[in-house]
Amino acid sequence: MPEEFHISSLVVHCRRELAPSIAGRIGEMPGMEVHGGVEEGKLIVTLETVTESEIVERLNVVQLINGVLAATLVFHQFDKPAQPNLTAGNA
Amino acid sequence: MDLSRRDVMKAQAAAAAAAAANVALPAQAQNINVGDELRLKWDKAPCRFCGTGCGVMVGVKDGRVVATHGDMRAEVNRGLNCVKGYFLSKIMYGADRLTRPLMRMRNGRFDKEGELQPVSWDAAFDTMAAHWKKILREKGPEAIGMFGSGQWTMFEGYAASKLMRAGFRSNNLDPNARHCMASAAVTFIRTFGSDEPMGCYDDFENADAFVLWGSNMAEMHPILWTRITDRRLSREHVRIHTLSTYEHRTTDLSDAGLIFKPGSDLAILNYIANHIIRTGAVNREFVEKHVNFRLANTDIGYGLRPDHTLELRAQHANDAAVSHASDFDAYARLMSEYTLDRAHELSGVPKSQLEALARLYADPKTKVMSLWTMGFNQHVRGVWANHMIYNIHLLTGKISEPGNGPFSLTGQPSACGTAREVGCFAHRLPADMQVANPDHRKLVEEIWKLPSGLLPAKVGYHAVQQDRMLKDGKLNAYWIMCNNNLQTAPNTNNETYPGYRNPANLIVCSDPYPTVTAMAADIVLPTAMWVEKEGAYGNAERRTQFWRQLVDAPGEARSDLWQLMEFSKRFTTDEVWPAEILAASPEYRGKTLFDVIFRNGQVDSFPLSELSPAHNNQEAKHFGFYVQKGIWEEYIRCGAGHGHDYAPFDTYHEARGLRWPFVDGKETRWRYREGHDPYVEKGSGIQFYGNPDKRANLIGAPYEPPAETPDADYDMWLVTGRVLEHWHSGSMTLRVPELYKAFPGAVLFMHPEDAQRRGLHRGQEVRIVSRRGEIRSRVEIRGRNRMPRGVVFVPFFDASQLINKVTLDATDPISKQTDYKKCAVKIVALTTPASAPRPTAPDVRGAPR
Repeated sequence: MPEEFHISSLVVHCRRELAPSIAGRIGEMPGMEVHGGVEEGKLIVTLETVTESEIVERLNVVQLINGVLAATLVFHQFDKPAQPNLTAGNA
Repeated sequence: MDLSRRDVMKAQAAAAAAAAANVALPAQAQNINVGDELRLKWDKAPCRFCGTGCGVMVGVKDGRVVATHGDMRAEVNRGLNCVKGYFLSKIMYGADRLTRPLMRMRNGRFDKEGELQPVSWDAAFDTMAAHWKKILREKGPEAIGMFGSGQWTMFEGYAASKLMRAGFRSNNLDPNARHCMASAAVTFIRTFGSDEPMGCYDDFENADAFVLWGSNMAEMHPILWTRITDRRLSREHVRIHTLSTYEHRTTDLSDAGLIFKPGSDLAILNYIANHIIRTGAVNREFVEKHVNFRLANTDIGYGLRPDHTLELRAQHANDAAVSHASDFDAYARLMSEYTLDRAHELSGVPKSQLEALARLYADPKTKVMSLWTMGFNQHVRGVWANHMIYNIHLLTGKISEPGNGPFSLTGQPSACGTAREVGCFAHRLPADMQVANPDHRKLVEEIWKLPSGLLPAKVGYHAVQQDRMLKDGKLNAYWIMCNNNLQTAPNTNNETYPGYRNPANLIVCSDPYPTVTAMAADIVLPTAMWVEKEGAYGNAERRTQFWRQLVDAPGEARSDLWQLMEFSKRFTTDEVWPAEILAASPEYRGKTLFDVIFRNGQVDSFPLSELSPAHNNQEAKHFGFYVQKGIWEEYIRCGAGHGHDYAPFDTYHEARGLRWPFVDGKETRWRYREGHDPYVEKGSGIQFYGNPDKRANLIGAPYEPPAETPDADYDMWLVTGRVLEHWHSGSMTLRVPELYKAFPGAVLFMHPEDAQRRGLHRGQEVRIVSRRGEIRSRVEIRGRNRMPRGVVFVPFFDASQLINKVTLDATDPISKQTDYKKCAVKIVALTTPASAPRPTAPDVRGAPR
């Protein structure tokens, strides 16, 4: 099976006073990056994963961090470099 | 894949999220050029899953949907998306998708006892039509029925309603929405004379307090929850109070979580009304000008079969819906029984929490938005619960203005648009009109260009009654479309499945997947779904949204709209309409139902040249005219000029949804309020114009207990519901491997002490037994839902653990909506597999894999 990779992004609403420490924790998770929104308590986070199920798993982890009120997905793009013709869902 | 391209994609992802969250990022991250490099074709569509009505952008490549993201231009979700919406691209591509009609066959011909085998559309329709004609001849229209859906497009619901009522002359059409929001719909009409909320999602940004009645919004309506969270975070004073029968994600995140005993919400609601009256918080001017006081008939039974003891014992089981004109003092006297002590005693909620909640509603300076879904609606007193929340908002005048109002959320994507507005209930016609009202029938007959007197006046069988009549052999030709009733109907083993297998009945099921229901049917029709057809949905805030056909359906799968229209060609008026009607209107003789319903000079009046050149439209090309546009333009005449105005067809393909009534090029955000609603006369401030006197009906009712309460033999409350990753009955979401993995099988949530007392440990297999049936499941004492002692919770999506074998088919006697939230069970350890009874029919050959 050719390697697949997924880029997605989420908005993480958190209690403002805890936003810096939450941003720090998320930033330490593999493949995750915080791009901004710490001041607003709305973290802009990107995710690089190999599978879609990892996206759901990471989302669950983020949602359960103390001080997180909501973690919501926005964008999803995936690619199979070896195969130009993409198909989703034949899983 | 080179690294730089991956970085570009990541920058785009971040920019999309920042735009959705309204957060500024460094300039280099703001270049969004979604899908360009993948050569995807993007189009808008509303999400297929829930009643929120999020806008999604759908990316298509080589005839397949390969990506989705939240639509930044959609006002509902502003670019956000929940887990279900996120994997929308996969729901159409499950490995077991149905692509050919199936029919039970033996020795080369139809046989109800045979096995399902692939057949042609003609063979399937011929068998159906022959049975329909035989039943019409022998038993008449009342033996024909259809179970429809709040997931139908508005066009499909309209076509079904016309075919059933005008074609077959039967009102035995009911939607699965009966199970999810009939109580809300009925009470809107009883109170305001017009269905659906007065406010809209803009209330989220204007309220000071949110009260969630039995709703786990953080999990069930995550996008709307995000809007509440945004408001809570941006305004220090905003508070969230959540009432529930157990603790969950939303009670955790709220400022106050009130855990009450099942059914006692009625007592809490009346206590709040009493508090408002007692503390002088009634808005006298508002009440005097805009409110009528009425008292409901009490002791109204539980909507069970008429010979059930509980029905025989009830004083007003047969006139449950009746209420009597009354006055403020009589209502105040009734409410005075609901003291803080009594509310606390019945509900188990700490007095301090009850008082804080009541003060919120009573304070004239606090704008309150009340939200609810199934907790109120799936309730043997669901109509009363809905009344009681309106009563509170009416007493205080906190209604129909930004931030103040009662708001009923919906579960299905077009429960509002299709089931309610188009009128797919056994008692309803389009635009709030009623089948029992001769003026309404006459108007619809004129708009539909039908002979006078054709539409039947008798209210048809509601959902639960359809199951009972199938079992009793009174309903014999039955078409189930776009829902999974065998899994979602209550008490299925005793009341639903027997009717499907009754030899006198032909059961047809149209579905994209082999659900439990499809596999129990005699004929299975493969269905096109979501963006495989052009469609329209209406969401919970009266927003109507259109989408184009973006891909073709696989194999021979066809939309429900195509199926209904094509089937109508097999009947002539002479076969199905009474001779006296044809004698009075001979011009209708010799025509097919297709001719009189769809080729009526209206539905067929828009040529193919009006189709979007960039999109396919299977139905239009098959029938030779722009079907959806013709249906829309005919349909909107039903509501024009009386509070249900829509925009012209093409407008919706441009807009990101519009909220009706749509008048003079403008949508309406707050109904009944001068300055917001064009129907309200100048100088009147407020007019509840759905009622002839333009006043709302405040209907008082007492607390009455549930149909079944735990006792010595069955000692636990059973509550059922959803979990985030699954929607509807799981027939679509279980096809998405990621969602299935996140929550693979239903479990039994219970309190650790309840488990300990029975010697049960986490993960142990148990039997959940009621007076009606039993299932097996596994104990969960931790996890995301935390139960109080005495209450267990089981999600209902898992076809291998049909919890609805256990539930009670008690309904609200007025709305006929089932109560899935309260019945009595016992939990028993499964000692050895051999000693446990084998599960019997219905089989679950359609269980998702």
